[in-house]
Amino acid sequence: MQKTDLRDWLHNELFERVPSNIAIIDREYHIVEANKNFKETFGEWQGKLCHNIFRNRNTPCSSCKAEQTFHDGQSRVSEESRLNRHGSSSYYVVHFEPIISPNGEIPYVIEMSRDVTENKRLQREHDILFDRVPCYVTVLDRGMKIVRNNEMFRKTFGESLGKKCYEIYRQRIQPCDNCPAIKTFTDGQVHTAHKSGVNKNGETIFYHVTTSSLSRSEKSPTHVIEMSLDITETRQLEMRLNESHDFQASLIESAIDSIIAADPDGLVTLFNPSAEKLFNYNADEVINRKKIDQFVPPDFIDVITKGENRCLLAESKARNRDKQSVPVRFSGVVLKSGKKHLGSAAFFQDLREIKKMEHDKLEAERLAAVGQTVAGLAHGIKNVLMGLDGGMYVMQSGMNNSNSDLTHRGWEMLQNNIERISLYVKDFLNFAKGKTSINVTSVDPGLLAREVIDLFTTVADKAGITIQAELSDNIAPANMDYEAIHTCLVNLVSNAIDACEMSEKDGGVVILRLFEDKQTIVFEVCDNGCGMDYEIKKKVFTTFFSTKGSAKGTGLGLLVTRRITQEHGGRITLESTESEGSIFRLEFPRKRLPPLTEMA
Amino acid sequence: MTSPSEKKILVVDDEPDVRLYLQTVLADAGFQVETACDGYQALEIFESNPPDAVSLDLVMPRKSGAKFLYEYHKHDEWRHIPVILVTAHAKDDLGQDDFNDIMSNLSIVGPETYLEKPVKPLTYVNSFKRALGIEITEEPHSKEETKDEIKGLLNNADPQKMDQILNLLKQK
Repeated sequence: MQKTDLRDWLHNELFERVPSNIAIIDREYHIVEANKNFKETFGEWQGKLCHNIFRNRNTPCSSCKAEQTFHDGQSRVSEESRLNRHGSSSYYVVHFEPIISPNGEIPYVIEMSRDVTENKRLQREHDILFDRVPCYVTVLDRGMKIVRNNEMFRKTFGESLGKKCYEIYRQRIQPCDNCPAIKTFTDGQVHTAHKSGVNKNGETIFYHVTTSSLSRSEKSPTHVIEMSLDITETRQLEMRLNESHDFQASLIESAIDSIIAADPDGLVTLFNPSAEKLFNYNADEVINRKKIDQFVPPDFIDVITKGENRCLLAESKARNRDKQSVPVRFSGVVLKSGKKHLGSAAFFQDLREIKKMEHDKLEAERLAAVGQTVAGLAHGIKNVLMGLDGGMYVMQSGMNNSNSDLTHRGWEMLQNNIERISLYVKDFLNFAKGKTSINVTSVDPGLLAREVIDLFTTVADKAGITIQAELSDNIAPANMDYEAIHTCLVNLVSNAIDACEMSEKDGGVVILRLFEDKQTIVFEVCDNGCGMDYEIKKKVFTTFFSTKGSAKGTGLGLLVTRRITQEHGGRITLESTESEGSIFRLEFPRKRLPPLTEMA
Repeated sequence: MTSPSEKKILVVDDEPDVRLYLQTVLADAGFQVETACDGYQALEIFESNPPDAVSLDLVMPRKSGAKFLYEYHKHDEWRHIPVILVTAHAKDDLGQDDFNDIMSNLSIVGPETYLEKPVKPLTYVNSFKRALGIEITEEPHSKEETKDEIKGLLNNADPQKMDQILNLLKQK
């Protein structure tokens, strides 16, 4: 083969095999020559114009690079989107080269294109990754200048290109201590650190930073990529968790209530200072050493055993180290998370102070009642004096006028008032009786009520009044001063009979009821007698108030009744409607009843 | 000159003893006397045959003296009938509210219209005589002065002192 033939053949092979799509176009954009790759990519080209092929157009494209090269003879490179022979669009890097004839004209332009669709996609993915990765990403040069930053970084710290990384993150004028980027610049290795910085709004940001060399081989790289994961929220949650933990801890520490908690096996895990005081143990002696069972009431152990959740005891006892029993209000809970048993917690409210206050209050009330009574005594004496004066006067007048009836009535008045003096003295002494004389035994309330009824049956019959007993069976014996409660009921029943007598209606009925409701023993005395209007109700317990006329009452009966009721921890209530009747009710909560009097 | 026998006085008191006493005192002074045991009865008498004056206890069951007074003030035709209040309760819890209510009411004025129990017969009678324009008998200085003094002292007894005395007694 001739040397020129060989060259032509080699040129031809080169033209056909070069990994590029090559076409030669003339000034009218006819494709005059193209290689095999071109044909494979864009299809049959002969007799076609370049814009027919690439864009499926009949007119030249608006910014045709070939036209520019025909015009100025310059080589060009551009990235263009073209249709391949299957009609789908791809990206190409296209080189435009002029073919210049010896006379300087440009009859043809060579166009060499390479498909970069895949590169383009990778590039785009990379950009998205860089911008959207949930990290602050920067690329630093050796001077610690930021040469690239991602979208998330810009959002948080603002545009920072050209600034030093420590200026932006930490607002410092020198690199930070232990800077991982500096380490990476030194040894090319990956380094990490926990840092905090300040964002563009001046808020503190916590982040975990990783630095890595941008080139794989170099020992001292020119650029380092710095990726920081924002852990502000986690840190804040952590801090809040710590705060809440501290808060709860100090709540428990400073609680007035004693608090004990235990794990599922009953081993004590928490014993607060109040509990130390109440039980007289140090927390160290108890925590992980003792079982909660020894501190809580047995009721709570039952609750735990039965798989229930709560135990509330308004009044219970706690036994301290010295085997002393302390009155407490108790609340216990079984701690669960979903179905998982986490343990138990017990709360004790020391009732010693409250008990003492209750006692003092009772005492104060009693003294106040005595004071009122003494004040009222003067008034009572006044009435007696007036009665005596009156009696003497009436008797004198009767004798002066020889009116034996008047004389007799005057004498009666004198007698009545002298009797009244004895009544006053008796009632008053009764009332003034100190608490010391209370004699508490175990009393059957039903028996007591029955005895009072029997006492009045005859009196009531005579007055034409029906007296009824409605007594619940099976009321357990209770701690009471028999005589005192007897006095109360006698007072109330006798009042009720008087109220029926004072009523204008016939058919008076007095009912004595006894029942127990929620651990409270209730005596009720009802009558359908005259009842009381508002003013009398208001005054009924206040002083020597009697509506019964001179001979019958001193006004002390209800006061005595109230005092006795209060001494038994109970209360007296009254419902009354004028001319319809009254209900007096004595309520004795069992748990407030006094302890048995010790025998001498 | 008006004579007591021309005047009828209504005594209202719930205590029969007091009623009888006051009735006798007034009758001995020559007045005609009628009695009522409470405010209701008093009102009935006022409506059927009004008296010339009324002696009224303030605190009574069912209808207190105050309630009676309330009705009394609603009737202009009764306005000329003087009311003498006789009560033991003016200074204690029981009667104080009623008493203050009444005393703040303009319709009753003058010192002679209110008497505190125990009342002296002569003072009582003279209050009515004064109210009805009848000549007044001189109040004599009697041997009863000591008793009056005791009554006065009792009226002004300090409840706290009484309380202290009681405590002393209890301690023995």
